[in-house]
Amino acid sequence: MRADRVRLIVVLLVLAVALVALLWPTKEGFSSKLKLGLDIKGGARIEYLVEIEREVENPSAVVDDVWTVLRNRLDAAGYTEATLKKVFRENNSYIVVEIPGVTDTAQAEALIGSTGVLYFAQVLNEYYGDDPTKIPEYVFEANREKAVWLKGRDGKWYLVRKEIMGRRDLVLEAPRILYARPEVETRVGRYGYKVSFELARDHVAVFERITRALYVPEGTYDPRKRLAIVLDDVVQFAGQVVAVITDGRAEITGNFSLQEAKDLAAILRSGALPARLVKTSAGWVAPLLGRDVVDASLKAGIIGLVLVLVYMVVYYKTMGIVADLALLYNTVLLFGVMALGRFILTLPGIAGIIFTIGTTVDGNIIIYERIKEELRTGKPVKTSIALGFERSFFTLFDANITTILAGLVLYYFGTGTIKGFAITLIIGVMGSMFVNLVLSRVLLDALAPHIKLPKVAETQQGGSQR
Amino acid sequence: MKREIDFVSKNLFFIVVSLVMVTVSLVSIFVKGFNFGVEFTGGSEILLRFEGKRITESELRGILSGISEEFKTARIVRVSSMGDPADVLKYSVVVPKTYASDEKKSLQEKVESLTGGKLVSFNEITGTAAEEIRKGTWTAIVVSFIAMLFYIAIRFRLVYGVAAIIALVHDVVITLGFFSLFGYEINVAAVAALLTLIGYSINDTIVLCDRIRENVKRYRGKSMVSIVNASINEVLARTINSSLTTFIVAFVLLLFAGTVVKPFAFGMTVGVVVGTYSSLYVVSPIVARWGGR
Repeated sequence: MRADRVRLIVVLLVLAVALVALLWPTKEGFSSKLKLGLDIKGGARIEYLVEIEREVENPSAVVDDVWTVLRNRLDAAGYTEATLKKVFRENNSYIVVEIPGVTDTAQAEALIGSTGVLYFAQVLNEYYGDDPTKIPEYVFEANREKAVWLKGRDGKWYLVRKEIMGRRDLVLEAPRILYARPEVETRVGRYGYKVSFELARDHVAVFERITRALYVPEGTYDPRKRLAIVLDDVVQFAGQVVAVITDGRAEITGNFSLQEAKDLAAILRSGALPARLVKTSAGWVAPLLGRDVVDASLKAGIIGLVLVLVYMVVYYKTMGIVADLALLYNTVLLFGVMALGRFILTLPGIAGIIFTIGTTVDGNIIIYERIKEELRTGKPVKTSIALGFERSFFTLFDANITTILAGLVLYYFGTGTIKGFAITLIIGVMGSMFVNLVLSRVLLDALAPHIKLPKVAETQQGGSQR
Repeated sequence: MKREIDFVSKNLFFIVVSLVMVTVSLVSIFVKGFNFGVEFTGGSEILLRFEGKRITESELRGILSGISEEFKTARIVRVSSMGDPADVLKYSVVVPKTYASDEKKSLQEKVESLTGGKLVSFNEITGTAAEEIRKGTWTAIVVSFIAMLFYIAIRFRLVYGVAAIIALVHDVVITLGFFSLFGYEINVAAVAALLTLIGYSINDTIVLCDRIRENVKRYRGKSMVSIVNASINEVLARTINSSLTTFIVAFVLLLFAGTVVKPFAFGMTVGVVVGTYSSLYVVSPIVARWGGR
């Protein structure tokens, strides 16, 4: 029975981890360990006005683009359960973001990220010191150049102009960037990392003209021909253009550390918004389902669960108790993993949990029916249990793998809530497989002497149990 | 062998039953259509502000329902903004309907005089779920069907995979048909129920196919029909017990759960029944007819 001892240790360890994940008190107290979705608990609500310039031909397309960028950001941050609503009022477009599990609106705004527009600009001058917009001679310079002083991420001040070389056809604002990633610097004489990125096709021509206008041979320094990347009124990076980019694929080199390269790539990739967002209100929203609905549904769920537990004991006797323990164990496990992975529980997530209850019970039933079949052929209890598990392994395996497969596809293609559902589905099914094959095995082996032989077998096989 | 229930030879009857159900469902879907929730259709959001007056969601719903029908099922949620004074209550009321500007005005007057609150803003909203669901979910369902088809074809036989997918489509269409027929609202949770049903249906089918695969080796020389029938009988206890336990949970939820949860529970209840039926009467005849070697 060494195998059972190993199984028991694994089972207890996993349970301990799940319980710790669920109940370990945090600063906010332990009710906050399992994050509940907007439908169950409400969350932060922020409303933004989408600033669209009058000459834009298709304003609703701009709002759609803003929506997509924000959706991707929230999904990437793990907030698949956040909702984004497009709202129209008095000829203005708004986007309302509701984020579950966040009680602090400042934290919510941090998640939503930059609300500005990313653009390329020409650097005309730089300066290190106090705020130049308060120094008359610098203000005069800015006015003369039709440019603005902006702070850089490196702490310097840059005088930048959106119209490169003062030309209106050399403006590149809100570019769509297909990818941006840090890469290892391979050129001799350089070290660290660089960032490579690619622009969408419609920006390739402008970018080529810009790089042609600002081009300087490598190794030379021309302070008035540097290109800057500006986001949220901050110069994120400024550097010399040493090649004319004709295909939209460019590299930013600067002997960056990995972290610097990652940050810069993230800025480019974060999907600069096609329009500026102005916060019009920030606050909270109550549970969408309403307290009464949540309470009633919770009660119904518990009643259903208890009925299942009772049914299993009535039908399967001793083995039913094992199934019930397996079911409760898997529920704790699922909640534990969700707390650990900081997943958010919503109504569709609860659908996933009910599915888990189903598959856990189902797995046990499949195994028990097998064991019963073996018992009917007159085999002793222990042998029947071993054979029952062995024979049902591939049944469970195939049934669960197909479900996980579907869950993975759903996770990959789905957005928002559907992703959340897929997560509970996958965790739940994996948990049920673990519970069925490991926990149930330990318990059944331990309880083997109490398992009644079916009538057919009893006459043939008397009391043989070993 | 013990007494067996004959599942396969009466298959003509059940094929007719399935065809009738699928046809009725499709007709209902295309003629009657669905009752989509506000998450899908979009509509209007009214922000109401009450100063120094305590009013609950259900009281507000009661008053608004007297003004117009659509408020009976409106989504009423309390909202608050930073810096709101303590005696201010704000509610967001969402209905799947848009109003013309003169309608807005008269509605505003009625709402303000009857509730004693102030209508702060009248917004038109788009369906949030529509984009999310439309964007990926149908692709996801189709791709997952193909993935499952491949998996079953590799682990079992192609015919089993085809049978499983036919059963899945059958289940999804009939469940959607029930939604349409009974006018249950399709909301995000209902979509989740539909996805869960796919999981159940495929589980049932695999357990059955697994047994058929095993029995094909065990009962060499017997006809495919009798092998399939024996297999169904062997897994019958499991099929009934598994479906019954899930059915219990879903049905209790349907009876007692609150409004928004009802469509979900309805989908689960119908889905479990249809999913069980299809593995017995849709998958098995196909495998019995074409699954032989």
